[in-house]
Amino acid sequence: MATNDNINIIGRGITIRGSLTGAGDLVVEGRVEGQVNLKNHLTIEMSGVVEADIRADELTINGSASGNIDAGTKCSINQSARVNGDIKAARVVIEDGAVFNGSIEMDVKLPDDI
Amino acid sequence: MVATKEFSTVGPDSTVIGPSILISGKLTGDEDLTVRGRVEGELNLSKTLIIETSGVVKANVSVRNAIVSGVVVGNVVATESVELTREGRMVGDIRSPRVIIVDGASFRGRIDMGNAEPRPQAERPATRPVVRPAAVRPATLPARPAPQAAPARVMAPAKPQPPPVARVEARPEPRVEAKPAPPPPPPQPVLVGEAGKKKVLVKKKK
Amino acid sequence: MANTIIGSSIVIDGEISGDEDLVIQGTVKGKIALKESLFVEASGVVEADIEVQNVDVAGRVTGNIAATDKVELKADCRVVGDVRAPRILIADGASFKGNVDMDVKER
Repeated sequence: MATNDNINIIGRGITIRGSLTGAGDLVVEGRVEGQVNLKNHLTIEMSGVVEADIRADELTINGSASGNIDAGTKCSINQSARVNGDIKAARVVIEDGAVFNGSIEMDVKLPDDI
Repeated sequence: MVATKEFSTVGPDSTVIGPSILISGKLTGDEDLTVRGRVEGELNLSKTLIIETSGVVKANVSVRNAIVSGVVVGNVVATESVELTREGRMVGDIRSPRVIIVDGASFRGRIDMGNAEPRPQAERPATRPVVRPAAVRPATLPARPAPQAAPARVMAPAKPQPPPVARVEARPEPRVEAKPAPPPPPPQPVLVGEAGKKKVLVKKKK
Repeated sequence: MANTIIGSSIVIDGEISGDEDLVIQGTVKGKIALKESLFVEASGVVEADIEVQNVDVAGRVTGNIAATDKVELKADCRVVGDVRAPRILIADGASFKGNVDMDVKER
């Protein structure tokens, strides 16, 4: 994770529609619809709902996300998460209990003879 | 599920494909299968498929459970679960109600866990049918119906030995080796005192 | 013992090749080519041509067997097919139908 110059929280009661861009870390406990473009770490908390295409360096999902995800380093889909969409990331982790439907694109190094 | 090494000490009657063996064709069976070599074609099992780090499966696979530490190229349909361990590599589509991808695994393809499964947060872990290391979420089960009971059970014997504690909670599965990732709850006494849900949150944040 | 075991409920329809011992308790149809030993146990059913170094048959084999070293047909086995090897043992009680060829000049 990059430097935590500041952490922004979108609280439970808040809904944001439109495009969200930023450099700091962001925690979503409320609702975001549209687009998210973040340089650092996005966390969707259990109460959080994001219906947006997401770009972030790192993404941690405990809540609900639908849309395409492009994470630079890592996308963690935790046990309580519910995710629909296509994911592109260097590392994707799906915990037991998470519900995910969509595609995942990581770099897979296969043996040469396959 | 995660302790793949456990499975490698398979019983005498289960099937092992050794590292130098290549099977090409169609393989069906009603027992666990451990692949250390190579299987190409089609693979249908009513039990668990374990692909060890040296194993390569280039096949369309239909099983109950799959634990992948080696390589899979092909589509996997599992009636219970698919797990890609730290060393697992897979290209293909997965259809299974439970899919676990551990950090370090690599995967390219689609995942379909289905949406039919009703998912009230609280009930979900309890109704899950598949074997799992019981130590993973020891407090979750009792915490929901009887939040008061949970702390006592967890706190008392937990410190010396987490796995036996979990056993107390009536999980019949014999494979009770501790999962490496989630630490047992006792070190966080404050949170253990609360209902199970909070604890889950914290684990995520670490 | 052997690294590879094909358990009794397993059915393989295709080819098996490799260079380690193989124990068959289940069913294999197709072809088996090994650089080591093959053991067809009592529950094993093989409908395949077999090319191995050694083979012990206690189960059923339908197909031709060629071994570079030895073929042993144990009591109660049932083998239908031609057997070719420098050394061939057929136990009392084995049932075998086919030709035996122990003349293994290079061919």
